[in-house]
Amino acid sequence: MVTKKVLLRMERIDKKFPGVHALNQIDLDLYAGEVHILLGENGAGKSTLMKILSGSLERDSGNIWIDGKEVGDLDPEHSKSLGIGMVYQELSLCPNLSVAENIFLGNLPKTKIGAVDWEKLNKMAKESLVSLNVSIDPRMLVRNLEVAEQQLTEIARVINRQSKILLLDEPTSALSDAERDRLFELIRLLQSKGVGIIYISHRLNEIKMIGTRVTVMRDGKVVDTIPVEKTDENQLIQKMVGRKLNEQYPKIHTKIGDKILEIKNLSSENKFKNVNFQLHSGEILGIFGLMGAGQTELARSIFGLDSKMSGEVLIDGCVLTKHNPNDSIRHGLGMLTRDRREGLVPMLEVPQNVTLAIRSQESFGQIIKLRTEKEFANKFVNSLQINPPIINRKVVFFSGGNQQKIILSRWLCCESKVLIFDEPTRGIDVAGKADVFRLMSQLANEGIGIVMISSEIPEIIAMADRILVMRRGEIVTEFQQSVTQEDLLCAASEF
Amino acid sequence: MSNSIENEKSCAETADRYEISAKSNYSSVVKSTLLKSGPIIAFLLLAIYLSFASPYFLTGSNIVNIVRQTSITAILAIGQTLVIITGGIDLSVGAISALSASVAAVLMTQQFQIGGFMIGPVGVGWGIIIAMLVGVSVGVINGVIVAKGRIPDFIATMGMSMTIRGIALLVTKGMPVPSHAVATELKGYLPEQIVWLGNGSILGFPASGVVAILVVLVGWFILRYTVLGRNVYAIGGNRDAARVSGINIVRTKILVYGISGLMAAVAGIVLSGRLNSANALMADGEDMKSVASAVIGGANLAGGDGGAIGSLFGALIMGTLANGLNLLNVNAFWQRVVQGLVIIGIVLFDQWRRRKFKA
Repeated sequence: MVTKKVLLRMERIDKKFPGVHALNQIDLDLYAGEVHILLGENGAGKSTLMKILSGSLERDSGNIWIDGKEVGDLDPEHSKSLGIGMVYQELSLCPNLSVAENIFLGNLPKTKIGAVDWEKLNKMAKESLVSLNVSIDPRMLVRNLEVAEQQLTEIARVINRQSKILLLDEPTSALSDAERDRLFELIRLLQSKGVGIIYISHRLNEIKMIGTRVTVMRDGKVVDTIPVEKTDENQLIQKMVGRKLNEQYPKIHTKIGDKILEIKNLSSENKFKNVNFQLHSGEILGIFGLMGAGQTELARSIFGLDSKMSGEVLIDGCVLTKHNPNDSIRHGLGMLTRDRREGLVPMLEVPQNVTLAIRSQESFGQIIKLRTEKEFANKFVNSLQINPPIINRKVVFFSGGNQQKIILSRWLCCESKVLIFDEPTRGIDVAGKADVFRLMSQLANEGIGIVMISSEIPEIIAMADRILVMRRGEIVTEFQQSVTQEDLLCAASEF
Repeated sequence: MSNSIENEKSCAETADRYEISAKSNYSSVVKSTLLKSGPIIAFLLLAIYLSFASPYFLTGSNIVNIVRQTSITAILAIGQTLVIITGGIDLSVGAISALSASVAAVLMTQQFQIGGFMIGPVGVGWGIIIAMLVGVSVGVINGVIVAKGRIPDFIATMGMSMTIRGIALLVTKGMPVPSHAVATELKGYLPEQIVWLGNGSILGFPASGVVAILVVLVGWFILRYTVLGRNVYAIGGNRDAARVSGINIVRTKILVYGISGLMAAVAGIVLSGRLNSANALMADGEDMKSVASAVIGGANLAGGDGGAIGSLFGALIMGTLANGLNLLNVNAFWQRVVQGLVIIGIVLFDQWRRRKFKA
């Protein structure tokens, strides 16, 4: 870095939510042309800090300078006008509009009579995409783009507003490696243009690839800010969790019992075909595949969320005939969906969320004993160490890892015999991951059969007793535990 | 889970954070209580203002009047609240009231020849049961169209509303019932029990108010203590999560619309008693009033939030406001203007307060 121009300085930022001191005297600065990585467990306050910068949350106290000028209260408009651009974890594009329209949304070029000047719009969009080395047809509908292309479009939109400060919240969580490389290229280009980037990620291996400095947050405080070349993953993990992680994959070796789940010739319309496998009690069965190989659709279909075309699902030798979630739950199946938002009712509190599935087995007129329900919730909050341990709190206010535990409680409450985990650690921080794995091991040890769908190679190798590899909707191979990362990737990719 | 998980969180810092959380937990209880009692506070403020502004407001006869005016809206609002919490809306409640009351009134006052047998006039008990059956059936049809046909609730119930009004016109031949104009009519009045429901009183308290309170209690109990109520909140709060949890969304929605239809029939009977007559066009405008009551009472039109007690106070605010404007001799045209603006104002205030407290 030749010019160390300070783009942004935040001092003593403080924010309290009911129940949590989310940000405690945070100091952070950002230079032009820097990629400043923000690390921390879920709930450490990273997203809150970004929301304050982008103006969607008000800070309680603290000062912010941009380009050396102090700024007062921020709202989204003001923040944009100051050159702060936020790219959210969930993309905020309109899928029914074209790339060009999305880039210039709210600022479309007009003809004399006030209609949209399509020619000019597409030309301008083309130019801004080319300047970012992105080759997407501006006339394409966003709906038809790959996820990575959508992300690039979103960044183009933000950059197009003359943003000098770019906030990226876990931009690679939905991307494949190749797609990620494309994104990194773009980030480096922006860097060379003097844009300052704050980059939130849970993927430690990305830090060396793209970062300039890294700031670690824990429990609403800044632990340290270090140049990337002076640190390594172990040190960062230690700073993040405030302790050494003794075991990242706490796998207990358990005795594998009888056959508990059997899938026979299961096929869907077009997502997967002729899937056969068996799962035993106490076993963790991994299903690995690249994005779009059909593993998520398979899981949803087993549970009865998506329709199937043919084939059977058997639990304890009993065929599930109705093929809907209610019937699956009755037979002892539980599912943690890939998208946690699909699992929780955000505005209900912990007890209601924990007992949701068990209620589906009761008749409508059944009277609920609120006190028993609270005791239930308390039991799981204690045994799964849900944090903060406050049950009369709406679940929307819990962090990702704790939300995952609340969903898990729901299935434990139903005494499920088979659990399907679809990407159980998606968007969860390092310590939270270890927690989830520890729980999985423990459940398997208690005799529950687990289907674990994951695209994270290290975790699936460490946790699964057997691994099935899916490719284009078919199971192509089965590996035992001693498989290497290369074998797994080879089997899943097409050559 | 038998044995708890070993987790050596850095205790000092965690404790530090919970000290704060313990305190703000107390204040969050205060806040959430305030949040929930918003409609009650608004109602009290309105009542206090009116008792100073008009000497007649706090008189016994005026209060009885308010209760009578409010009870119909309150009964409808409870059914509406259930529907709204699931994320739907029922724009047919007024029409269902009219149809079920009309069918009952026709059967209770007229005579038919079916297959050689003379039928009717039926007794008051049959009349009420038939009215309720009509209400439930129409509600269930609403639910089936919405849940099975996957038509937006708004469109389905609006279409049903027009259909039902039409059927009610056919049933009553476009006349008020009883009317003396129809040759087959035997009685010139509705059964006295029905009239009592609308205009009578128990120990000085209006009978219609008692019906309304019972309905509110039933609604409150369903929402708070039954599996059905829980499903209602879950479906409105996150339909996907409800599905993953095995909740039968179709059946829940059908049942909820059925209950809304039933409540509409009850309101229709009470209203026909109050008017001592039923007609196909009665309870006009009650659909929107019931929606407004629920929303003023804290229900969220996007689903997932709301409650029976809140909706009761929503209805009370609407009824008291109308009464107050009458007492203050406000011009009838201006009354509409004021009522509309007050609804918008209250909901605006409510939105603002929610955002303030939840942030």
